[in-house]
Amino acid sequence: MSRLLRVELRRLWARQVTRWACVGALALVALTGAATFLSAPPPSDQQVAAAEEMFEADQEQWEKDGEQQVADCEAGAEAEGLTPEEWGCDQMAPRLDWYLPPTQTFVPDAAQDEMLFGESEVGAQDDATRAAVQEIQGSVWNGWSGLATLDDLAVLLLLLVLVVGVSFVTAEINSGSLGMWLTFEPRRQRVYWSKAMAAAVGTVPIVLVGFALLVGASYAVYASFGTLGDLTGAVWLEVAAFTGRLLAAGAVLAALGVALGTLLKHAAAAVGLVGVVAWACLAFAYSFGELQRWLPTTALSAWLQGGLVFQTERCTPSADGVFECVPVDHVVTTVQGGSTVAGIAAVVTLLAVLVFRRRDAS
Amino acid sequence: MAVLDGARGGGELAIETRGLRKTYRSVRGRSVGVEGLDLRVPVGGVHGFLGPNGSGKTTTIRMLLGLVRPDRGTATIFGHEVPKRLPEVVGRVGAIVESPKFFPAFSARRNLRLLADAIGAPAGRVDAVIDEVGLTGRARDKYKGYSLGMKQRLAIAATLLKDPDLLIFDEPTNGLDPAGIREIRQTMRGLADQGKTVLVSSHILAEVEQIADTVSIVARGRLVAAGRVADLIGAGSATGSVRLRVAPTDLTIATSVLETSGLLVRREHDALVVDGAADPAAVNRALGERGVWARELTPLQADLESVFLGLTAGEVPGGGERGPATNGTTTGVGA
Repeated sequence: MSRLLRVELRRLWARQVTRWACVGALALVALTGAATFLSAPPPSDQQVAAAEEMFEADQEQWEKDGEQQVADCEAGAEAEGLTPEEWGCDQMAPRLDWYLPPTQTFVPDAAQDEMLFGESEVGAQDDATRAAVQEIQGSVWNGWSGLATLDDLAVLLLLLVLVVGVSFVTAEINSGSLGMWLTFEPRRQRVYWSKAMAAAVGTVPIVLVGFALLVGASYAVYASFGTLGDLTGAVWLEVAAFTGRLLAAGAVLAALGVALGTLLKHAAAAVGLVGVVAWACLAFAYSFGELQRWLPTTALSAWLQGGLVFQTERCTPSADGVFECVPVDHVVTTVQGGSTVAGIAAVVTLLAVLVFRRRDAS
Repeated sequence: MAVLDGARGGGELAIETRGLRKTYRSVRGRSVGVEGLDLRVPVGGVHGFLGPNGSGKTTTIRMLLGLVRPDRGTATIFGHEVPKRLPEVVGRVGAIVESPKFFPAFSARRNLRLLADAIGAPAGRVDAVIDEVGLTGRARDKYKGYSLGMKQRLAIAATLLKDPDLLIFDEPTNGLDPAGIREIRQTMRGLADQGKTVLVSSHILAEVEQIADTVSIVARGRLVAAGRVADLIGAGSATGSVRLRVAPTDLTIATSVLETSGLLVRREHDALVVDGAADPAAVNRALGERGVWARELTPLQADLESVFLGLTAGEVPGGGERGPATNGTTTGVGA
């Protein structure tokens, strides 16, 4: 088996598709670096000067009638039965950052995110769910930041290795060389597993190097802008943990590609099927309600990001017959997401092994 | 079914099948590929595996190699039941099934290197077999740029990687030019002369006739004849037919004379074929007594093709309409 695996690994790395996947990963890195450079620069001197000018004008006004504004606010709060803090009366004094254009940072800036997007609507939840939601939403992979962008781009690396896995077997089936191979090693189960393992192991460098370069390119751009944000050791640990989960997902998806290629025999059919399923899951996720936790796209995101929160609505009829709907948060944990992805891959792989063992080879 | 002594012998068998059956399902229903085939290939020598197109030759070879699962029946290679115990014997079997199939974007050397590593063949074996088939100068070229002849030679090189005792060649000369055909023929004969067993299915009967020691002929998935080539041809040669050429002006009178003598005469272009003439001298004598002189009198001998066509009459388009052919006829039967 190890001999077959070594041979299959050599074949994998000698293939043009694998080399093109490496080129694709490098192109992704280059595009990411360029796009980040163009889209995330800090405010220019002119923008800062204009913001300061507006801030000073409002500050001057605030000094004139600020006390009256606060008094009006407190009256309004009292009329609503709220405290002045709940009504925001302590946040009325102008701040310079309100006037500066938002600046994307490498690490999410929670304060800036809140200012830009406001607080997300809190769904009905118990204490445990609330804690999980807060933890997930506070992750470095959420928010408006360089890291949160990388999380989405990493999925493209996974797509690349899936295609490599699919092509690894379909090329062999369609060229007929599988038949020749089986005249040298007729134990089909061994043959299958050597291919699946070669795809899983052999594509690890593509994902690892690709993602490392993505992080490096993004880091370099933000560092050159001086907008890395609060980059602590904990953030790097989370990046390392994400990389580990990404590598595991890459191995599973490459093996899944081998399974789909074996079952469908044509690369276009296998990749097309993945594309259609992914599109349907993303486009109609909300229609699945609470069941969307079992969708492969949801599960994969949960695994990669270290958990995922999605909302559904719970609607109940009120006394006057009108339905009142409230959002409900649902948490998909890392383990749940990973288990779902692994389960789907395992079922497809077992099916592929059964078919591969019995199918007539040309 | 004609099974002659050569195939019935009790010697060791390289291949044996009993009641092998394979059917294929499609939207148009079920079709039979092989129907109860009993095949016996003796150890050593070249065994021709003949049959019309769709007679089940390739399917049989695929079943022997574990590429296709039989519905019923048993098959053994060197006494090992296949496909169940194929892994135990696969190292002794080299095979080319239909056209050579390698990775198109890889060079010849890389293709063979992968196969060699898969079976743990020594490092030098790849270059040795490439050299053996005369591809050393093109070993680094991509397979997709190879001519058909080079592809066939590479496939033979692949079969030799294992230094096998049994070589199975399925239509090895398809698409080759005459020089390539001769080269492959010599290679197969040479392998047999080294003590290996060569099973070759081919639609070029004259070619098989030149190199095969024994043959099996199949039609509609069943064995219709088997035995030594010489025995099969000998059995088909007892036709007592002669080809007669006389002056064109004497054709009518010659026909009349011979028919009066009780012989069957038919016209074949500008010649007459006389059947039932056990002794050609009797033909000559009958004509001479009436003052008609033969310009040519040739006893007709059956060749493998005529035997094949006779046995598979109705299986090959036009197969039942052919009379015995003279030696050297190379008309092929589509495979």
